[in-house]
Amino acid sequence: MLKEKKHISRFELLMDAGFGAQKAGDILINAFAKMGKYVYIEPMIPSEISPPPRTKPAMSGVIIRLADFDLTNIGNNTDLIIASHEIVLDRRLDDQETNPNCRVLLDMGDRNKNEESYEQVCRRVTKLGLHVFPFEIDDESKAIIKELSGKGKNMYYLGILSDIYNMSTEILINEIKETFQSKLKEDILNKNIQLFKNGFNLAKKNILFSFEVDGAPHKEEQILIDGNSSMALGIIDAGFKFFGSYPITPASSIMHLLAKEFPAYGGVVHQAEDEIAAVGATIGAYAGGAPGITCTSGPGLSLKQEFIGFATAAEIPLVVINVQRGGPSTGMPTKTEQADLPAAIFGSHGDNIKVVLSVGNIIDCFYAPQMARYIAEKLKIPVFIMSDFQTANSYKVIEKQKTNEINNIDEIPDFVFERFCIKRLPDDIEMVRTSQTTPGDAGGMRRVTGLNTDIDGNINYFAGTNQRSHQVRNEKIHHVKRALTKPEMFGEEEGDVLVIGWGSTRGAIEEAVNNCRRKGLAVSGMYMRVVYPLPGMLKEIFQKFKYVVTAELSYGDPLKPPALMMLLRGETLIDVQSITCRATGRPIQPKSIQDKIKELINTGTI
Amino acid sequence: MGDQENSTAFTVKDLNTENPRWCVGCGNFGILMGLKRFMVDKQIQPHKTVNISGIGCSGRAPNYINTYGIHSIHGRPITLATGIALTRPDLNIFIHSGDGDAMSIGGNHLLHGINKNFNCVFLMYDNELYSLTKCQTSPTTRKGHKTNTQPQGTFLEPLNPVRFAIGAGASFVANTADWMQDHLTKTIELAYEHKGFSFVHISQRCTHFDPENFDPKNSSNFSFLTHENGLPVPKHFAEGATTINHDPTDSSGAFRYANSNKIYFGLFYRDRNKPRYDEIVQKMVEETPRKPRNLIFDAYKV
Repeated sequence: MLKEKKHISRFELLMDAGFGAQKAGDILINAFAKMGKYVYIEPMIPSEISPPPRTKPAMSGVIIRLADFDLTNIGNNTDLIIASHEIVLDRRLDDQETNPNCRVLLDMGDRNKNEESYEQVCRRVTKLGLHVFPFEIDDESKAIIKELSGKGKNMYYLGILSDIYNMSTEILINEIKETFQSKLKEDILNKNIQLFKNGFNLAKKNILFSFEVDGAPHKEEQILIDGNSSMALGIIDAGFKFFGSYPITPASSIMHLLAKEFPAYGGVVHQAEDEIAAVGATIGAYAGGAPGITCTSGPGLSLKQEFIGFATAAEIPLVVINVQRGGPSTGMPTKTEQADLPAAIFGSHGDNIKVVLSVGNIIDCFYAPQMARYIAEKLKIPVFIMSDFQTANSYKVIEKQKTNEINNIDEIPDFVFERFCIKRLPDDIEMVRTSQTTPGDAGGMRRVTGLNTDIDGNINYFAGTNQRSHQVRNEKIHHVKRALTKPEMFGEEEGDVLVIGWGSTRGAIEEAVNNCRRKGLAVSGMYMRVVYPLPGMLKEIFQKFKYVVTAELSYGDPLKPPALMMLLRGETLIDVQSITCRATGRPIQPKSIQDKIKELINTGTI
Repeated sequence: MGDQENSTAFTVKDLNTENPRWCVGCGNFGILMGLKRFMVDKQIQPHKTVNISGIGCSGRAPNYINTYGIHSIHGRPITLATGIALTRPDLNIFIHSGDGDAMSIGGNHLLHGINKNFNCVFLMYDNELYSLTKCQTSPTTRKGHKTNTQPQGTFLEPLNPVRFAIGAGASFVANTADWMQDHLTKTIELAYEHKGFSFVHISQRCTHFDPENFDPKNSSNFSFLTHENGLPVPKHFAEGATTINHDPTDSSGAFRYANSNKIYFGLFYRDRNKPRYDEIVQKMVEETPRKPRNLIFDAYKV
């Protein structure tokens, strides 16, 4: 028995969609978390519900990274893959995220369906230098799976993984029971448990290696939560009273959670007839005095743009969450990308001002709605919260967060401002229209419009008045710019390389920077939680580094600067480059950033 | 309306803002005045009232009446109104929408506003033309009528808004016209009293681009639906007009009149029992037991 002790390990379970890989993953991470380990899980799901099995598009899997320390991202270097057949394995090998000595457990049950294909994929694995461990589900389990109409393999694989990672079967069986008790009849539940046990026993007998990742029971109270759920709870804590949205992947789960929970906190969830109606109703709610928030993803952002501009002109607060996915158009609904930044900052026609916040981890998701509400109400403008598929759908063990139970924005505590590296805004901010009453205020009747108005709110197309409106609106954003403090940094404030990111790349940048620094390289990182406007001191910081580079999940090439790079260049007139700007749908790996940093330091070019 | 008892009653003058920037003879003046007269008659509190509009000549209406107002974007006033209705049931909502706004760019919202049946008065200003953009074919332009976008004559038969509203299941459907002040005011009164999405179609003259369309002096083309629970026939037009007694609860009759070639004014249909989305949602929220916010993470404990 080869027992390998590790501080950190990453493994993958790959199956056809609809066969419960996600469910098995959920059960596993709950068990890991209970055993005191830190986990990070990334679901890999097709955007279709059940594509034809045994095809590459059908792959549905989970990547689980666990460690005896807090994790910031999903990482790279998979140690172990368990695949239900050769095609999903083949599909995943394309992504090249494995460790050089990764072990691959391949279920041979489908071999007779295509022996040649099996051989081919096994050869590919060996050629990559990885080790194949073929196995076959035992006959008793096969019979049970047949009784369950082909379902239940996930429990078998769960058993195998539990043995390899030295987990307590007792905790796992409890987790299985908790997960399925209310959903499955007792005899079906028992069959699932039997499959789990059989998988566990198969691994015990036949698989002669195991991983041991330490973990003492967590000291502080820990929770296991995904980014979208954290965002939904953040909406409740921030005191929003209206949530208007239209279903869209990967944002919908925010609405699902709120549909269940929001009424208990006096909040209304409105499923609108389309994306435009969703933002319209949200603006309507805010215009009536009820803090409103809407949530969407790429295509929905495009549809909402006219109304976002209206909110700017009419001076009605608005918060828009955009959970980014691959674009353009329908793109890749269940893959991650950060290419909506220009649409958020510069979208909607005319000189349209707004503030764009970014969430870099699951805790940011919880506090971003408070920060966004503060800015939106202070300035009466639209504020974006930019999440993406990766942050939204990843689960992680985090410390239970402090709730603030905000009713009005003056109650938002300092630590939220500090997290977003911003100070409180002044109280006497000028509006285009000085009167800012709410319907119901006696004697305060007024009209708002998307047309240009004078200081009293009357429609006015005269030169001086229009120029003033622009000046007043832009001054709102300048207030934010002046309130921004130095963004979060990893490492020293001077050195050879500064890597900058926003959104879900935060964890990978932090890990890459730390790894480089451990090797003695003068590398630092910077993370922007407010992406627009940018703070004024960036140039000063950038000048203390030999190279300033971005790491972004949006396409760039020598003739096409990706968004953040372009933005930083414009802001600082410094020759910012991009160290990685690939749009593969996969998260940025710390390793790829490290490799590029080394290359940059050694050769002076990217 | 108890909260105005201590103050003196307001008049139409109190509801005026600036002089409307509409053409001389525009039907919108009549509609605006009808609404103001109704508000004064019933002393509907201006600060408790929100007029919401889209884009077009009709879109300007909220700017010309001293209540709260939102002059929004093309085709979308219903969406804003939904958000207000769901969060502020204490407010009176009037939506102003033209034929392009309601039946073309905002058609989807009209369908869903009708279906959601949230409480508001929906005033459809139908001049059968895009006018503010200078004379283009609208969904209700009569076939053959020459416009800047279909100079050969409008190609298609117009959509029929009243038939659309009845077909979509509206709980209140009435038809009136800008040139019948009493009828219009009375229609708005009934629409306001009705709790739900009250669809009021208003034939409206565009004297600038289409002065031949509606001849208000000739009532022989017009027929009135009347009933003890509906709308009376305006005295001014009673002579020479066809008058039909129609029970507004009779849905098949309503559809038959809406589907005919004749124009009928009056109350087509009213269903006081159609469920209201705003009421259902508010009741659900109200009846859900409250939870303390400091425990929101409890379900996620490891």
